[in-house]
Amino acid sequence: MGEVEEARAVSETVVVIDDDDAMRLACRQILAKSGYEVEEFADGSRGLDGIGAVRPGLVVVDLKMPGVSGLDVIGRIVRIDPTITIVVITGYATIGTAVDAMKAGAYDFLPKPFSPDELRLIVRRGFERRRLQLASRQCEMDRELQRRRFVTFVTHQLKTPLVAVHQYLDVLRRMGDGAEAAARRGEWLDRCLARTEELQHLIEDWLMLARLEGGTLVRQRVPLDLKAVLPEMLAGYQQLADARQVALAYELPDESYPIRGDRTCVGVLFDNLIANAIQYNRPGGTVRVHGARAPGEVVIDVVDTGRGIPADALPFVFDEFYRGHQPEGRRIEGTGLGLPICRLVATAMGGTIDVESTDGAGSTFRVRLPLLEDGTDGAGPGGEP
Amino acid sequence: MTAGAHILIVDDDPDFADALRTMLTGAGYEVTVAYDGRAGVAAARRARPDAILVDVMMEERTAGFFTVQELRRAPETARTPIVVISALYAQVEEFQVPPDPRWAGHDAFLPKPVDSDLLLARLATLLTRPAPVPGAPEE
Repeated sequence: MGEVEEARAVSETVVVIDDDDAMRLACRQILAKSGYEVEEFADGSRGLDGIGAVRPGLVVVDLKMPGVSGLDVIGRIVRIDPTITIVVITGYATIGTAVDAMKAGAYDFLPKPFSPDELRLIVRRGFERRRLQLASRQCEMDRELQRRRFVTFVTHQLKTPLVAVHQYLDVLRRMGDGAEAAARRGEWLDRCLARTEELQHLIEDWLMLARLEGGTLVRQRVPLDLKAVLPEMLAGYQQLADARQVALAYELPDESYPIRGDRTCVGVLFDNLIANAIQYNRPGGTVRVHGARAPGEVVIDVVDTGRGIPADALPFVFDEFYRGHQPEGRRIEGTGLGLPICRLVATAMGGTIDVESTDGAGSTFRVRLPLLEDGTDGAGPGGEP
Repeated sequence: MTAGAHILIVDDDPDFADALRTMLTGAGYEVTVAYDGRAGVAAARRARPDAILVDVMMEERTAGFFTVQELRRAPETARTPIVVISALYAQVEEFQVPPDPRWAGHDAFLPKPVDSDLLLARLATLLTRPAPVPGAPEE
């Protein structure tokens, strides 16, 4: 970690290790002219000490030196800092020695005699490669950190309902059979059940997300007509909508909305959108599913008249576990994974999903899926599961 | 000695807070609940509870620690005993929270779910400890 930390400011220092005084001087002059800081050492062991102290970005090392050999020097530089680029020079330029040097960790090989331009070119390329290497290392570390944070966060999300249930049961047991326990027991057991259910949904969604990300879910692609699928799905939500006093409506004016996709995944996609539209709605509100055909695509809008999403929250609604501001003391149901799942499903089917919203006036989720062109709509409505 | 003391719970999970509140009420404490850090600080400054329980992993992730810091900065709660609770006990380091409680300014740390006996014991200790002498160096 520390080593990459330091390397962020990429060192432009070159260390030259060569027992030939004239060669060291020549290298110093050539490279200094190109703007590099140059440190030179006359043998391997002093060179290695110097590298430890100077931490150069690049080392030019003669392969044939008395004392510590060039090959050994290469090996030890790699141990000091594997990101240092090593260029080997030698008068004994054979394929064998070159291969040995590269195997030991050298980046490139420069046979004597060489021109100033050859040296400059190889050093410039060496630094360029190092910069790229460091950048990709940094990326990898950022990703790793993000992944670890995410695992921690998921763990916390999974533990939260479990903790609530545990706490209820623990307190119930402590209360024994008193009047207070009798008064609380029913309500608390209901809450325990609700939280257990929440945990189950969370685990199911989490699994779904992992499978979608692993690409193992959207395998089956059959012709589907959303004109048949969507009203059927909406009908399944009638009871929930009634309970929330929300009206369901659809407008599917075109003759058909043929797509190719996995029936289960299409179900998951619109299930999440419709359920959200009902849940985030207000009594007396409506959920409207609207279809349109555009060149090459089917466009489905799920429009609600809920409280909408604040502009500053919009960019994050497809992020895992993102939830907008919640009213005090009230938890919005749901796993926080629904919209990320929607986005993965839409993407896996070659489509997109976007959201538009006016704070306080509702949201429109727009799904675009590739249109299945005429002549291929062999399967009936709904297709095969 | 500690009976009737006022405890403020700051936690964004109403179920957890409800269970804990009932347990503490049963043990003779007077309990109020705030469901996020901001409301918690406001309630604490207003009501001046005898001890505060703060969850450090509320929706805004590490927000609980900012809550602790804010409570410590506020003159009304600068010396109020604070017990931090978190379900992330085992992974605390990931969030760069040093295990040394003095760093964040809290007086005790308990993992979630909370062991009721342990919490009651901690509270009893914290509520009966002698008030620190102003200006005296922390040990």
